[in-house]
Formats: sequence, C-alpha cells, structure tokens
Amino acid sequence: MDGLDLTVQPGDVYGFLGPNGAGKSTTIRMMLSLIRPTAGSISLFGKPLTTHRSEILQRVGAIVERPDFYNYLSARKNLELLGRLSHADVSEKNIMRVLDIVGLEARAGSKVKTFSHGMKQRLGIAQALLHDPDLIVLDEPTTGLDPHGMVDVRNIIVSLARDHQKTILLSSHILPEVELTATRMVIINRGKAVVEGSVQDLLNSGRLKVTVETPEVQRAEQLLRESDFAPYVQSTGEGAIILSLLRGDVHLVTKFLIDHSVHVEGVIPVRSLEEYFINITQEAA
Amino acid sequence: MMLTAIGVELSKVFSKWRTYIGFIALGLLIPVVVVAMGVEGMKYFDFATANLQQMFSFSGNLMNGYTMSYVLLGSLYVHVPFLVTLVAGDILAGEATAGTYRLMLTRPISRFTMVTSKFIAVLIHTNVLVLFLAGLSLGLGVIVLGPGEVIVIRESITIIATDDALWRFALGYGFAALAMTTVASIAFFFSSLVENGIGPIMTTMAIIIVLTIIAAIDVPMFDYIRPFFFTSHMIGWKDFFNQPVAWSSALTSAAVLLVHIVACYVGALFVIQRKDILT
Repeated sequence: MDGLDLTVQPGDVYGFLGPNGAGKSTTIRMMLSLIRPTAGSISLFGKPLTTHRSEILQRVGAIVERPDFYNYLSARKNLELLGRLSHADVSEKNIMRVLDIVGLEARAGSKVKTFSHGMKQRLGIAQALLHDPDLIVLDEPTTGLDPHGMVDVRNIIVSLARDHQKTILLSSHILPEVELTATRMVIINRGKAVVEGSVQDLLNSGRLKVTVETPEVQRAEQLLRESDFAPYVQSTGEGAIILSLLRGDVHLVTKFLIDHSVHVEGVIPVRSLEEYFINITQEAA
Repeated sequence: MMLTAIGVELSKVFSKWRTYIGFIALGLLIPVVVVAMGVEGMKYFDFATANLQQMFSFSGNLMNGYTMSYVLLGSLYVHVPFLVTLVAGDILAGEATAGTYRLMLTRPISRFTMVTSKFIAVLIHTNVLVLFLAGLSLGLGVIVLGPGEVIVIRESITIIATDDALWRFALGYGFAALAMTTVASIAFFFSSLVENGIGPIMTTMAIIIVLTIIAAIDVPMFDYIRPFFFTSHMIGWKDFFNQPVAWSSALTSAAVLLVHIVACYVGALFVIQRKDILT
C-alpha cells in the first residue's frame, strides 16, 4: 500500500474496488490489525491503530472473506461468545434482533455446521452488527453464493444503510453488486487510489458504452461514420452497433438515427461500472 | 476483559467433544484397574516383589486404595500427556484451521489477552483432568480396596504410614499437575506455530517418547544430557514418596518444569504477536 487515504462518510455504502492483487484484502486486513504494515501506519476514525486498537475495533464490525464460525456451536452461542469479546449486549433479545435482520431467527439454535454457505455469510453480517458498530467492513460478502444468496446479502446491505443508518465499506470484485448498492467508491490499483468519489458522478464523468439495436445495421453504421459521431463508433455486430459516448450525447445519437428514418429498437448501456473499471485500471496500468 | 476472554475460551473448550475424551478414558480405565487390583492385586504385588520374597515376608492389606493409586499414577504419566495435548495442541491451531482467528482478532481484544486466556483455559483443563484422575483413583481405590500403607517398590521398598499418605498424595498429584501442565505448554507452543491441531499433538508426543527412550538407555554419554530433559523431571512426584521426602530433588524438578512452562507460554505469545492472519 502506498499512501492510501480513504474518506468514508457516515451513512455511505463505500465500494472498495480494484483488480486482483491491487491490495484490497491487504488494506482491509491491515485496517483490522490482522496483518501489520511493513512500514508506515494505519489510522481509523482519525486515530492511529497501533495505540487505539481496542477503541477502534470496538467501533468496527467486519466480515473478512469466508464466513467461518465455531461449527460445533449454535448460531446463538457463536454470537453470544463473539459479542462478549466486543462488549456487546448479548441478551437473547439483542441476539435475536440481529438474527432477525439477516433472516436467521428461526435457526438460532441450530449448530453452524448445518448451515449453508449463504446462511454462514448472513450470520457473518449478524456478528458484525451485534455490538452496534459505526463502520461495517464487508470483504467479498457474496463470494461463493448462488444468485438467491447474492440477492439476499445485497438486500441486507441496502437495508443496513437505509434502515439502520450504518456506514459500510464494501470490498467486492462483483461490480454490479457495488453499482447497485454503493453510494461512493474508490478504485485502487497497485496499492494506490486511482479514483474516488460518488458512484454516479464517477460513472457520469467518463464515456458510456451503449449498444444501439436496429435491424438496419449497415445503413445506420454508414450514416454514423459519415456524421460527427464517426469517432465514437466502436464496432458493429448482428443487429447492433456499439458506440462509446459522453452521457449527454446518447439522446443526440438516437435523435440523429431517428431523423434519418433508421428504425431504432433500443439503446442499451453496456454494464457501465464494468466499463469504467476496466478503463480506469487499464489507464493506471 | 481477561476474565471475559477466559470465560469465552472455557465455553469453547468445554463445548468440544474432544475435551471429554480424557475424562471418559480415565473414567473407564480407573474403575477397571481398581476392580482388577481388587481381584488380582496380590498377584501383581507378588510379581513386583518376587526378588524380595526370599528375604522378607509380606502380610496385611498390601494392595489397598493408596498403593493402587500410587501404582496408577506411575503407570499413567506416559499416557495422560496424550489426553492433555488433545486440547492444548488444538487450542490455537484449531482457530487457524477453522479460520476463526479472523473472528477473534477483529474484536477489541489484544493478542496478549487472546493468547493468555487460551493458555489459562489449557491450564484449567489440564489441572481439572489431573484432579479428576486423583479424585477417581484415590476415592474409588479407598472405597473399593480400603485405605492402608503405601507400599513403594523401587530399588528399595518404602512403606508410608496410612496417616502419612494423604499429604504426600496431595503433593504428588500437585506435582503431576505441574508435569502435565508442562506437556500442555509444549503442545500449546507448537499449536501457535502451525495451522492444524494434529501436528502439535503428534510433535509433543514424539518429543516425550524420544526423550523417554533416550533417558531409559543406560549409556554413559546420555548421563550428561538426561538432567536437561523435561521428561526426566516429570517423574519428580515420586520424590514425595521417599522417606524422608526428597525436597531438594522435587523442588529442582519443579523449577525446571516451571521454566519450560513459562518459556512455552512466552514463545507462543511471541509467535502470535508477530503472526499475520492470512487464513
């Protein structure tokens, strides 16, 4: 890591992105004092981790990669023991409250060894919530989940921010997940922040790749290549032309084609964060 | 925080099936030995004193509860270590295997507190196991076989008066607890180094077996190194059954074992303090 400075505002769902090996997991493990920096220092909430570790970790709940628990204990007992170490309220009421948030209240007494991966992931979120932390760090929370599990966890993340006013640092390589949940984000590469800001602002700042669907591909392409839009035509495929445009130009292209009597069936943005991510990390490389 | 952490560790230790293996094994073994000694104890005694039968005649309740407990203590000091390492060897490595170091160390609990609370949990388990051994062997022995003089058969025969037996057993089992704590500490140290609970158990047992074998081989060269083996000092409990008690030898052995315990604890603490949690 090299001078990485993240500003996560209260109430943010903060997407933490980067290609493999960029340093996401290393950053999170250093933030949680699981590994030590070879040089320099880590500060959270404006305080150095080395001298205020307990105070800082009291304000943080985390899932780091796989959701591992004491499999021989029940969900309730796991939360009780972990909660005691976090000075949390480990009353039955509070434990059931967090289990209710993640939809596991009916399985409170079941041993964790009987849980699916998705259930363990939800229990992981429950243990991170138990001591009512200010910041929740979720490192790859949907890895290994099936589509239903991914949707469940995503809904929980949105609910935590919206209904429980939690601040969330979400590290994920599943970009649609970040796009759907995050309010702000940072992209890091080789240990440095490449861009940071509001998800919408960042996506609107660059070019947007759009697919124009039309049965008249050849005529539409010819018209576009003879117009001011020629530099933005990237490729053509069966029934579609792909253009790289500024967001404000999308309606101009559509209007241009319609004005020239081209039958436009759809203008579909290609997954925007994916495009943005690839562009940014390629530029940084 | 330390008390909370110790409570959490004890909850985990005593929620695991493997913790009870030692209690179950001793709970099955000791009654069998007591019954066997009650039925055929004199045959055992005749065998042990075969060389002395021509010069001495033995009479009275020789195979009584106290003598049986003494014999049992002597025969189990090789086997109880295995039961002790089942918990001690797994307590740190088990967290690495299960990936739960992450859960523990992302709490506001220092690594010092984590290691110390686990070490104390191991000490408690070990000492409860030895207490269980003492209570069961002495209690059941006295109930079934009755009390009597402790007949100590070594190079010579020492007869400990009945009234003199209990405090010697208290010290003897206290020393046995120290010896087992040493074994547990070694397993605990190895547990801090690896990420699989089997390794520390096997390594500790291998060390005990190798050192015991080397110590048993009557070669002059080994005479110089034998006093440095902790296994040579684990049998220091026998000093309390000498007449008079070999205090100097017992205290020296206790000090050597204590040094091992402290060294293993500090070693484990050092390893965990510097460990990067990557699992």
